[in-house]
Amino acid sequence: MWKAILSPDFFSTILRSATPILFATLASAIAAKSGICNMALEGIMLFSALFGVIFSSLTHSAWLGLLITMVIGGLIGMILAFFILNLKTDEILAAIAINLTATGGTVLIMVAFSGDRGVSSSIRSVSAPTVTLPLIEKIPFIGSVLSGQNVLTWLAILAVILLHLFLYKTPLGLAIRAVGENKNAAESVGISSRKIKYIALIISGVLASMGGFYLSGGYMNMFTKDMSGGRGFIALAASSMGGDTPVGGFLVSLLFGLAQAVANVMQLTSLMPYEIILMVPYLTTLVGLGVYYYGQKKKKERLSGK
Amino acid sequence: MKKKLVAATLTAAMILSTGLVTVPVMAKEDGEPYKAALLLNGTLGDKSFYDSANAGLEALQEELGDDKFTFKVEQMGATSADEAKWEPTMYDYCDDGSYDVIICGTYQMLDALTNAAADYPDQKFIFFDEAFDFSTGGEDNVYNVMYKQNEVSYLIGAMAAMMTTDESLDMIDPSNKIIGFLGGMENSVINDFLVGYIQGAKDVDADTQVALAYVGNFYDSAAGKDMALTQYQNGADVGFNVAGSAGLGQIEAAVDAKRYAFGVDSDQAAVLPDYAANIPTSALKNVGNSLIRAIKEDMDGELPYGTLEYLGLSDGGVELVEDDHYKEVVPEEIRTKIEDLKQQIIDGKITVPTALGDDAMSEDDIKALIDSAKVG
Repeated sequence: MWKAILSPDFFSTILRSATPILFATLASAIAAKSGICNMALEGIMLFSALFGVIFSSLTHSAWLGLLITMVIGGLIGMILAFFILNLKTDEILAAIAINLTATGGTVLIMVAFSGDRGVSSSIRSVSAPTVTLPLIEKIPFIGSVLSGQNVLTWLAILAVILLHLFLYKTPLGLAIRAVGENKNAAESVGISSRKIKYIALIISGVLASMGGFYLSGGYMNMFTKDMSGGRGFIALAASSMGGDTPVGGFLVSLLFGLAQAVANVMQLTSLMPYEIILMVPYLTTLVGLGVYYYGQKKKKERLSGK
Repeated sequence: MKKKLVAATLTAAMILSTGLVTVPVMAKEDGEPYKAALLLNGTLGDKSFYDSANAGLEALQEELGDDKFTFKVEQMGATSADEAKWEPTMYDYCDDGSYDVIICGTYQMLDALTNAAADYPDQKFIFFDEAFDFSTGGEDNVYNVMYKQNEVSYLIGAMAAMMTTDESLDMIDPSNKIIGFLGGMENSVINDFLVGYIQGAKDVDADTQVALAYVGNFYDSAAGKDMALTQYQNGADVGFNVAGSAGLGQIEAAVDAKRYAFGVDSDQAAVLPDYAANIPTSALKNVGNSLIRAIKEDMDGELPYGTLEYLGLSDGGVELVEDDHYKEVVPEEIRTKIEDLKQQIIDGKITVPTALGDDAMSEDDIKALIDSAKVG
C-alpha cells in the first residue's frame, strides 16, 4: 500500500480527480459571495459534459468545443438568475429543476444527436490535450506528477488565481462581495444588486461548465449517462468548507482529491469493506468541515473576548 | 367558460385514448401463428439485453416463417417518468388476450408481472434475468429464466490469468500475476460474476491475485476510471468490468495504461471500435437464445411453467464473443485452453461456484475466496 501511495501516479490521481471538483468549487464560491447558493452546479456540469462532446465533435476542436460549452454554461447560469431574480423562484427549487432537466435532457439530446443512449460512443469528440512541461518533465518524481496533466487542470489552477484577484482586487469583485454581505448597504451606494447577482451566476455557470467539459473531454474521453456523479454537490460542501474563497476552495479540493486517491489505493488491498472505503472522501470532508468551523468559533470567541 | 371547454375536451381525449388502447378480446383460433409480445422497460438500441431479446425473436420468425410465429415489441421507456406506464401496458396486453405469451425481464418489471400473473391466470408469461417468487403459490403461468454469468465469468478469469503472464502480448507485464475486477456495487449478481472470475483464474494458476474495486454505483465512469487506473498502475494488466456505464471507465483506463479490459453485457469491442485493441472479448448473457429455446419448447407444450431455470454455457444462455477480433487479440494457445475449459463446463466436469440460487456459496465462503486471491 505504501508503495502505491509513494508513487508519482498517486499524486497525478490527486490532481486529476481534484480538477472537476475545483472548477465547481470556484463556481460555488463566486455565487456564494454574491449571496446565492448555486445548487444547480450538478446539472450544469452534466449538460456541459454532453455539450463538450457534441461541440468538440462538430467543430473538430477541443478549444472551440470548450468555448461553446462555456457560453452555454453561462447561459444556464443566466437562466437560473432569471428564475431567482426576475421570477422570484426559490433558488433551491430552481436549481433542482435544472438538475432534473439535466438528468433526462442529456439522454434525450444524446439520442436525438447520435442515437446513443448510455454512452456517446458514436460521437467522435476531441479531448483537451495534456501538457508536457519541457524542463520540469526531466525532474524525477515531480516531473512525472506535473508533466502530462491535462491542460484543464492547469486552467483550473489559473482560475483560482484569477478569481482571487477578481474578487479581492477589482471594483466589480468588491461589488459582488458587498451585495453578498449586505444587499441593502450595497444598494444604498448605487450598486444594482440584481445586475451583480446576474454577473456572479453567469461566471459561476461558466466555471461549472469547464468542470463538466473536463469530465467528458479530459478525465474521460466520452460522455456517459449521469457522469457528473454528485460532484456538483460535493463542490458546494468544499466551497463552504473553504470559507467560499478561491484559495480555500482550492485547498479543500486538493484534500478531497487526496482522500479519493487514498480510497482507491485502499480498495486495492481490500483491508476493509468497500462501503467504508467509499465513505473516506466524504468523511474527510465532513471532519474537515467540523474542524474548520470549530476553529472559526474559537476565533470568534477570542475576538469577542469571551 | 373557455377553461371549462378546454378541460372537457382534455377529459374526453383522455377517456377516448384509454378506450382506444384496449382492443376487444379475441379468441384464439387454430391455425393462427404463435403470437408473442415483448414488453421492454426500456428501448431498443441499448446494444445489450433488449437488442438481444429482439434479435432472438427476429431470428425465430425468420426460421419458422410468419405463418408460424409473429411477435410485437412494445418499447415502454426506462426513465422514472416512464415507470408509471409499465404496469398499465402489461395489463393492456393481458386484456388483449390474443398473445400466446408475454415476455418481459429485469428486476424492475417484477412487481408489474407479479400482479398481472395473479390477475390473469390464463395468460402465459416468460420472465428473464431476475428470480420470480413462486413461493406465494399458484403462479404456474410464469416461466422464469436466469443466466449462469458465473460460467462465462469463469472463462474470462481463466483467460485473464493466462494473459497476465503471456510474454507474447505487447500490453502485458509478465513479471506479476495480478488481474483486476471492477464492480458496480456488491450484490448477488455481481458476486456471481466475481466468484466465477476468481475461481477461473485460480484454477489456471493458483497464485493469481485479484485486485478488487467497487465504484459504489453504476454511472460514475470517471471514478471507475481512476479506480481501474490505480489497479493497472499497481501491477494488474488485465481487468474485467461489471459496473454498467461506470465500467466504461475501466476500458478507458486500459487504453491510457496500455493494458487489457474485458467487456460485459454487450460486445464492447464492437460498441467502442476506437478502443477495440484493448478489449480482447466480452461476456454476454444471450437473452435472445434463451427466448428462442423457451418459445420452441412452449410450441411443443413442454415449457416448464411455474419453474425457474438457470441457463449457462451448455444452453447458450451465456457466451463469450468469439469473433475475428477475439482471434486477433488472444493467442491461439489460450483460445484452445478456453475452448477446452468451456467443454468441461458443458460436460459437467467443472462445476463453477455460484452466488445465486439453491447452490449459492455462503457469504463467508465468498469472503474466503476473495481473501485467497487478495493482492498482498
